[in-house]
Amino acid sequence: MSSVTLRLRLKREEGSLVRVLGLVRRKRFEVVQLRAELAPEGDYLAVRMTLETAREGSAIAAHIEKLLDASHVEVIEAEETDRELRAARVAS
Amino acid sequence: MKGAEFFVKALEREGVEVIFGYPGGAIMPVYDALLDSKIRHILTRHEQGAALAADGYARASGKVGVCMATSGPGATNLVTGIANAYMDSIPMVAITGQVATPLMGTDAFQEVDIFGITLPVVKHSFLVEKSRELPRVVHEAFRIARSGRPGPVLIDLPKDVANTVAEYQFAESDQDEDLPAPSDESLMRAAELILASRRPVIYAGGGIGMARAVDAFQAFVEKTRIPVIATLKGLGSIPTRHELFLGMMGMHGMKASNIAVQNCDLLICIGARFDDRATGKLSAFAPHAKVIHMDADPSEVGKLRRAEAPVLGDLRKALDALSIPADCDAWRRECLANKVEHAWDYGAPGDGIYAPWFLKRLSQIGGDSMVIACDVGQHQMWVAQHCDFSRPEQHLTSGGLGTMGYGLPAAIGAQIARPDACVINVSGDGSIMMNLQELATLRRYDLPVKIVLIDNHALGMVRQWQELFHDKRYSEVDLSDNPDFARVAEAMGIPAFRVDFRKDTDDAIRRLLAEPGPALAHVVIDQEANVWPIVGPGKSNSEMMDEVRK
Repeated sequence: MSSVTLRLRLKREEGSLVRVLGLVRRKRFEVVQLRAELAPEGDYLAVRMTLETAREGSAIAAHIEKLLDASHVEVIEAEETDRELRAARVAS
Repeated sequence: MKGAEFFVKALEREGVEVIFGYPGGAIMPVYDALLDSKIRHILTRHEQGAALAADGYARASGKVGVCMATSGPGATNLVTGIANAYMDSIPMVAITGQVATPLMGTDAFQEVDIFGITLPVVKHSFLVEKSRELPRVVHEAFRIARSGRPGPVLIDLPKDVANTVAEYQFAESDQDEDLPAPSDESLMRAAELILASRRPVIYAGGGIGMARAVDAFQAFVEKTRIPVIATLKGLGSIPTRHELFLGMMGMHGMKASNIAVQNCDLLICIGARFDDRATGKLSAFAPHAKVIHMDADPSEVGKLRRAEAPVLGDLRKALDALSIPADCDAWRRECLANKVEHAWDYGAPGDGIYAPWFLKRLSQIGGDSMVIACDVGQHQMWVAQHCDFSRPEQHLTSGGLGTMGYGLPAAIGAQIARPDACVINVSGDGSIMMNLQELATLRRYDLPVKIVLIDNHALGMVRQWQELFHDKRYSEVDLSDNPDFARVAEAMGIPAFRVDFRKDTDDAIRRLLAEPGPALAHVVIDQEANVWPIVGPGKSNSEMMDEVRK
């Protein structure tokens, strides 16, 4: 299994978060951590999500980038991802 | 002006000439506005027929296809057609009526969350909750549908929004963004691989037609002189009679094509996506090859097979830049010798109709400017193997979703798009029943579509798999209680006749093509006829099974 953490900026449009989560599931990624909050200006959702998959982790970014609601997609480095994931698991 | 009136004017402004649809409660304001519009509405007899006709219209014309239905069941009936367009990257705008916004979420009559239902099968979707959003939504929907990698876009329009009276202004027109040119570095790397290769093969996909890169592709082939194989959707990207074209590849590919791909040292994938029906067992696909992968969609490159040279962006620019002679004379001769050695033998035993020969003769007699819309199954593969095409838009086939029932409505859409073209629907006795009601649409608009209904009294492809891979345990594939298709067609006002014997092949084809309006030839074949060759499930393309003639 590999993991990847993404930082996204989603336009505040109908179904934008559902669209991302559905895509993640269809591409056989599992959400293990998710945080989403409306930006102070109220015009976009700031999302940070950690995913696990048996496939190549960073491939999901290219799929999310195609969504018109995603104005910014950033992959956080793998090492950092592993550390964050371990920390999250220890905390839980 | 009402929202619906503005909506229709906005569609006109986007260049919409035809809508395929079916009216109902929530979409009534738009149908009312259509009465005062120059847009032509084609009433299909089922919403699925409307969506698939819009798909056929888009493929044949290169324009965005538009379909429309009411809320609830009207909308859900569009879903298969929307998914079909999504899988094959067809530009489409699907319009659905929705219950009024105050009723949404209350399980109102004919309320369904079509926005949610279609999320996995649209390029994008809009739920118009405020009438002021209408100008932007309509303009954006069409821009999104046709730009980049095309696809279907849904507009869900609540009835109260459609009835809102307001001052509307059209959205400002902006030009579609051009795809970026491939980077110099990627082109350089690809050129190095082409120059170093001695056994290259071009793997042509549907993306060539989608990118309007057919001319650039043909120039690339002429310059490089590299042998070409094609996916189902890539057929016609180079004329199938071209000397360098080896045939379709994959599960039912021609033997010379699969041999070439398995033995090449460089695979130049252009607008294709390493689909499992094309590659067979992926780990054994083109095992000795480095890969150049040219595509407009970055998410496709490296998805299933690592590319030594990814070339992203505008295919036309990539092909122009890479049109350099390849050093592969000996390999080309080997491929062309294989093409001759494994050419199809049409001399099947018996006096019944031999479907590959019938379709070959259809293509020869009708000429390769015909548009052929297939259904799904054995006949679809026989068309791909035995009919000739000069352009991809002549071959309408449900490649990704494999939608039985696609062919007849797609042929209707193609005939509307190209009234002067000879449009043929090649169908099977399983597929035709999926959208049989559209015979009434043919008659209503007197569309001269010719139907070749190949009838083996079975769900032939499933029967073939049960024979070959399930120890002849036949489960629910017998259709020997089919209706008399010629009488059914005649009841719908379509002239029809039956053909049983091989000696009548040419006369039947000429009789069918001579009909001035729609017509149906009911072509009866042996139930045990199979599609050959075949690569079994989970097998490599090098493990093709061939027919053993008794």
